Amino acid sequence: MSSVTLRELTKQYTGNAALSLDSVSLDVAHGEFICLVGPSGCGKTTALRMIAGLESVTSGEIEIGDRVVNDLAPRDRDIALVFQSYALYPHMTVFDNMSFGLKLRKVPKDEINTAVTDAARILDLEQYLDRKPSQLSGGQRQRVALGRAIVRSPAAFLMDEPLSNLDAKLRVQTRAEIARLHQRLGATMIYVTHDQVEAMTMADRIAVINLGKLEQVGSPRELYDRPANQFVAGFIGSPSMNFVPMHVESVDGGIRVVSAGGDMDVTLDDVESDMIRRAGVSDVVMGVRPEHIDHLARSGRGLQLRASVDVIEFLGNDEHVHLSSGGHELVAIVDARTPLTIGDSLTLSASSEAIHLFHPETGIALK
Amino acid sequence: MSKETPVKESRIAVLAKRLHLSKSAVNVVLALVAIFWLVPTISLLVISLRPESLFGQSGWWTVLTAPSQLTFGNYATIFSQGFATGGVLDSLITSLEITIPATILVALISSLAAYSLVFGFWRGRDTIFLVIVGLMVVPLQVALIPVVQFYRELGNLFGLNPYGTIPGVIIFHVAFGLPFGIFLMRNFLSGIPKDLLEAGRIEGAGEWKIFYRIVLPLALPAIASLAIFQFIWVWNDLLVALVFLGGNVHSPLTIFLYDQTRSLAANYWIVSTGAVVSIFVPLIVFFSFQRYFVRGVLAGAVK
Repeated sequence: MSSVTLRELTKQYTGNAALSLDSVSLDVAHGEFICLVGPSGCGKTTALRMIAGLESVTSGEIEIGDRVVNDLAPRDRDIALVFQSYALYPHMTVFDNMSFGLKLRKVPKDEINTAVTDAARILDLEQYLDRKPSQLSGGQRQRVALGRAIVRSPAAFLMDEPLSNLDAKLRVQTRAEIARLHQRLGATMIYVTHDQVEAMTMADRIAVINLGKLEQVGSPRELYDRPANQFVAGFIGSPSMNFVPMHVESVDGGIRVVSAGGDMDVTLDDVESDMIRRAGVSDVVMGVRPEHIDHLARSGRGLQLRASVDVIEFLGNDEHVHLSSGGHELVAIVDARTPLTIGDSLTLSASSEAIHLFHPETGIALK
Repeated sequence: MSKETPVKESRIAVLAKRLHLSKSAVNVVLALVAIFWLVPTISLLVISLRPESLFGQSGWWTVLTAPSQLTFGNYATIFSQGFATGGVLDSLITSLEITIPATILVALISSLAAYSLVFGFWRGRDTIFLVIVGLMVVPLQVALIPVVQFYRELGNLFGLNPYGTIPGVIIFHVAFGLPFGIFLMRNFLSGIPKDLLEAGRIEGAGEWKIFYRIVLPLALPAIASLAIFQFIWVWNDLLVALVFLGGNVHSPLTIFLYDQTRSLAANYWIVSTGAVVSIFVPLIVFFSFQRYFVRGVLAGAVK
């Protein structure tokens, strides 16, 4: 079993009052592909380096397989780490780079050869085994770094933004390659990225981290459909969710939330009205994803908004329309064939399923 | 992948452009400077290749018109003496006995110390480094007498007095070579990405393996330059050898040559021949280490 478990993992750097990682608990099942995402400096790389054993643990526990590894040296943890910078040994050939770990572990020569040749075949590196890293392209170096990890068939693969140094096209290609690699090896992978698209496309589950705290863990779909709080809602999805502070009003038995100028209003159904009553708030933050805004008006429940068009970004199949509505700025994605011009006044809408409501102070989603 | 590397202008071409001169003019100037600097060395070489008897009669430059006066006679005489104590070859060996260990020790200790200063996990590394840099300003002359006394004290306490022995000279040279050595190596090693060491640590290498399998190969250019510096310093040293080896029957080349010049007039053939021999060794060292000055050894490590 090569599961990885974090129990209230905490990191505080000396001379730093703030916690870099604040009591993060996470269970990664055997064979699972989990992404740690969050903005720069949120602690996701710190968490990964602590699992690898490159950073000491301030408090909490790390378990790999069934062993607590807090006090084990990195080499005894049976993990492989793919660095953001690849960290290839420049003075060694590709073969030597990939076999270095095996040689240190005194694996017999023929086994090393088999392991390296297999990895090279999987990664399409066979004809480069005699080259030095400086003679390789960025994508090839990246694959060597992956190869160095897979030849050792470790209990868990740790990856620290392995795609961030590749150009956009290669990134998409390698993303698919890593996903395939994961299926093929069936290994536990912990993947750190700041790019939510990478996380959404590759991960079985995503752990969103912000300011050292674990905000939410769940499948990409869960995170997209039911974000636990305003941070996750804004982080997952691109362009990010629109947030508008609104006021709660009672209207003949039901509840309506209205924006300050009255340009936006949401008519709630009974379940949602109960939700707000339970929370006992007089203000809420309404969230709606750009892709869920419909450029036509609708009657009945849901969001109605009157806005004017500020900017139109044409993307081929669709357009990102930047709107302003009573001092609030929103983005909506509409079909590129919609006839719109800058300055148009529109009435738009969104169905009530697309509306997220958050507590105005805590940012927690109202349920 | 394969990017066209732009054809680089030669340095001379760049210099010519900057000075608004034609390329050949720059070449001529450079050649003149080189010849000017080389004249003493060339004259030494020529004197060593002329018979002793001609020394008082004509200048060395007469070889230009009468090349037939050149002979390897002086060298034959030196080498025929063999390794007899007090001879040129005996001094050559003594010089090597001092210089080679002093160079290897400085290179080794400096790299290890620099490794610890850059990649170690202990506090106060920067302070220690500053102290070491500070030591670079201590002139070695200041330390001669204290060290002699210290050596005597060692002799009194343990019966091991390094004074007057070759290890005694080596220890002194190593001690005074280390501050610069550590300074140079530390600055070079701090350019090695930490990721490389961490990768090694994860793959199973201990500190020692990381040092000699990853860091040392990457530090070869710095080690080569340090070795050349240290070798030439120690090789050319007269003062330390005079103080610490004054009474020794085996003396390094510098002392040997010094002894020959003291007794006015005489022995010019042996001074010139010995000097040429003593120049050749550093030249060999320089050219054999030169190939390690490869630029961009770290290319391909990261990114």
